[in-house]
Amino acid sequence: MPGPGLPPARVVGLALRCYPRRWRRRHGTEAAELAALLIADGVPARSVACSYLCAAAREWLTPQPGHRLAAAAAALLIVAGSLGVPLGLLSASAPASAASAARGHTASASAQPACTPHQHPHSHLRPHSHARPHARDAHGQHC
Amino acid sequence: MAADSQDALRRAGDASVLILTSLADGPKHGYALIQDIKGFAGLQLGPGTLYGALDRLERLGLVEALPTDERRHPYQITVAGAAALRAHLDSLERVSAVGRLRLRLGGI
Repeated sequence: MPGPGLPPARVVGLALRCYPRRWRRRHGTEAAELAALLIADGVPARSVACSYLCAAAREWLTPQPGHRLAAAAAALLIVAGSLGVPLGLLSASAPASAASAARGHTASASAQPACTPHQHPHSHLRPHSHARPHARDAHGQHC
Repeated sequence: MAADSQDALRRAGDASVLILTSLADGPKHGYALIQDIKGFAGLQLGPGTLYGALDRLERLGLVEALPTDERRHPYQITVAGAAALRAHLDSLERVSAVGRLRLRLGGI
């Protein structure tokens, strides 16, 4: 919160800068003018600035109609991250590695995950080699 | 239609009802709305609350912004907004009548 020494216009200006850009483009000039009129009427500048600050916070927290899908995707990523789900499971390679594990030893080289070219040529003899993606191969390389 | 818009108005909050009531007699811009509401309801609406409510009402189709007049946006109530306000005021009248009757019957 700005100090009491700041001029009222500056206090309100700082509060208005807290709004999203699209809101400022639409209402910014008019909101500043309205604040000046209210302050001239005797409404404390601090009260006007507080009103704008609270409304700016609500504006940021309220999902916009066009951004609901993005908000839902962001929320899903946050939840997945907080549960410790590796991002690799969400990527496109996850179905391929699952299919490769299901097919076991009969899987062809083309169906293997991207990391398999670094595997030892005989690594397919070891069981569960696809089930442990972070295991080292015969050369000690990370897969 | 009226029930839906009344429900939308209820969700939009008390400031929205005050704004629609103020706009019922013609378009107004922000400062005029605040002054008018102060006059008939005795409430000083904060400017942040005012713009938040106006945006919500506009998204709900209950008010619409008119072309800018000297850097100010006048707003006017829409047909849906008038229907929602009418339904909301009817509901308030019913509640008011029941409340007064029960107060009288209760002898309070």
